[in-house]
Amino acid sequence: MNTTIILPAEMRYLRLATITAWTAAEIFTDTLEIKEGVHDFCHAFELSVCETFSNSVRYADPANEEKNVTICFSSCNDSLTVSVSDTNPPFDPVTSLPDINSYPEKGFGLFMIHQLMDEVTYTREKGGNLITMTKSAGKHEK
Amino acid sequence: MIISEKIISNISVLTPEGSLDAATVPQLKNFTAKSEVTPTLVLNLSGVDFLDSSGLGAIVGMARNKRESGGDVVLACMNDKVRKVFEITQVARLFHIFDDLEAAAGYAEKQQKSL
Amino acid sequence: MKTIIVIREKDYRWVRHVFPDIHPLLLPICNKPYIEFLIDFSVLSGSREIRLASDGPLGEVEAYCENGSRWGVQTSYASIQGTDDLEVVLEKNRHFCSDGRSLVINGMVFINYDQKQEYKTVFASLPAGELLSCSGGSLMLTGVPENSGSISRSCPFSISSIDSVSLYYNLSIDILNDASTPYVLPGYNNEELCHIGRNVIIGKSAEIRKPVVIGDNVQIQGGAVVGPGAVIGSNVIIDRESSVIRSVVLAHTYIGEQLEVEDKIAAGNMLIEPESGASLAIEDPHLLTGIKKSGATVPFLRYLLHTLVALTIVVFQLIPFLLLFPVLKLQGKWKQRMQECFADMSGKTLKLSETAIETGGPISTIAAFLSLDRFFLLFRVLAGQLAVIGSRPVPATSENRDLLNRMPGYRAGVFSYAEAEDWPVEADDMAIVERFYAAQGKPLRDITLTMKALFNRIHDKSLP
Repeated sequence: MNTTIILPAEMRYLRLATITAWTAAEIFTDTLEIKEGVHDFCHAFELSVCETFSNSVRYADPANEEKNVTICFSSCNDSLTVSVSDTNPPFDPVTSLPDINSYPEKGFGLFMIHQLMDEVTYTREKGGNLITMTKSAGKHEK
Repeated sequence: MIISEKIISNISVLTPEGSLDAATVPQLKNFTAKSEVTPTLVLNLSGVDFLDSSGLGAIVGMARNKRESGGDVVLACMNDKVRKVFEITQVARLFHIFDDLEAAAGYAEKQQKSL
Repeated sequence: MKTIIVIREKDYRWVRHVFPDIHPLLLPICNKPYIEFLIDFSVLSGSREIRLASDGPLGEVEAYCENGSRWGVQTSYASIQGTDDLEVVLEKNRHFCSDGRSLVINGMVFINYDQKQEYKTVFASLPAGELLSCSGGSLMLTGVPENSGSISRSCPFSISSIDSVSLYYNLSIDILNDASTPYVLPGYNNEELCHIGRNVIIGKSAEIRKPVVIGDNVQIQGGAVVGPGAVIGSNVIIDRESSVIRSVVLAHTYIGEQLEVEDKIAAGNMLIEPESGASLAIEDPHLLTGIKKSGATVPFLRYLLHTLVALTIVVFQLIPFLLLFPVLKLQGKWKQRMQECFADMSGKTLKLSETAIETGGPISTIAAFLSLDRFFLLFRVLAGQLAVIGSRPVPATSENRDLLNRMPGYRAGVFSYAEAEDWPVEADDMAIVERFYAAQGKPLRDITLTMKALFNRIHDKSLP
């Protein structure tokens, strides 16, 4: 699988991004004829793309009229990789869980991605952020 | 996102339907800001098919506001996908979670009376 | 009939304390996770749906049990609060418990049942309310009996608490010694009191004395004595001339040379005395001296040999590489990215290229067959930065820094010892093989192991 979708960096496109992620993961598991844990696998991609896409929208430069978020799916053996790239200024990837007892409203996103995915990397590329997330459809969960 | 409100056992029950994510959270916040609900309310999640960290944050924020004024938010009928978000973030330990709406409202009523 | 298992953090605090890496519901009792005993009993009782309710995390248990289809049941999970009494817990699961009867297993209890019995009819005639209780918890039934005519009060099973490490140890040894096999235990069992898993290698002159339960991927080296009375978990190495008697060795444990483990529990590098609960870290002298030796006296010899081996492989790979690389690159199947990895124990890092060859088509197959994906890495051996064979490079992150401290003798290699041993490539399991060879590794043996790794990778790739 090697598919790219480019969406405007606007919140109203969020659902389109997440549905695409779920479907891409479903096509991938169908191709490999995987039956076990498909639901969780697809949900991991749906949620991770949702978190990264909404982050990209949130920190997008309002002055930039033509800002986009690029979501790219690629597969290798039994792993599916999704990379989400934007043209935003760099951010600090905080991956620890906030203190639950203080009733935090923010800070769950990246933590969840790390819990759901096997591998997550951040890179600065061409003046934007690139987050690459990989999960194997074999034995899942850490 | 459609949000409806009804009363069961003297308790306000909010039922959002659809995807509760960064795009729809403002609607939920708007709704709760405007509507007059009981100090303890039940959030019926049976119609929520997807929850992200923003949706989770909104629910946590709602609970904090309610608890500061002595009330609470009781959760009911979450599906597996939604439960998973509560589980991996350990937020589940902050809430009373019921798989039955009537039971949730009954529990909330008892809590409200004991105030 | 449905079953609801209610287990609170306070019920299993001792497990967290003694075995911090194991989820209490997955604690192996004779190599079978605790939860599976409960599931088996639920199935015998006629339950088709099982719910797990806990105030602690359930993620690991969920990953293990999935939807329960393995046992022909449907599993679901629920969060409760530690302060909820049983009544509130049942209210929180009212929908689940609403139709028909529910069996409530409350607390960390062990149910002494018999797999040859079926308890459906027994449960149909038992009254609602508490059936059995012990210090660790209770068994309860809700709903009205189906056969209201013949209400019986006697249970053909009993329960006992598992609320300390000594009770856990005694339970394991009791099950091990029970020739009537009331429980299904994992492994191959063609004679009484003996269960052996897959891929168990028993060295020359090693002795196995019944009763024993041995897991998967276990190496028992020459001269070792296992049993009588030994539970050996999966991915365990019992090194030369060691003995394990009346003891429980948990998964991913390495028992070094000439150690006597008697009436103990061994978990990772901890030896636990079950009666007192006292534990000590195993300071295996051979493991430690082994590393020091190979670290101090033979680095030059090692470098020389590794360079020679790397050069040989480069010579063999050169022509296929020159032919196939451009094609794969054009097809977009040659995927390469840079990754910062730890080079050795000191925490020094290296930027390594990680190559993945996408499968599909004869060219990818040949390239994978010849391990061409490691071609570039071989040059790092010549530069003295990598070993030909060592540990799988660990990405340099702060989390992995701790992992590194638990991997004595770590040295990043083009091929890994785990590949040579065809060991399951999973972090924990790999660590143990690598630890073993890091301790045992002699430069000459490295050559054979490199060849083994190359060969194993061919074998892997030729499988469909």
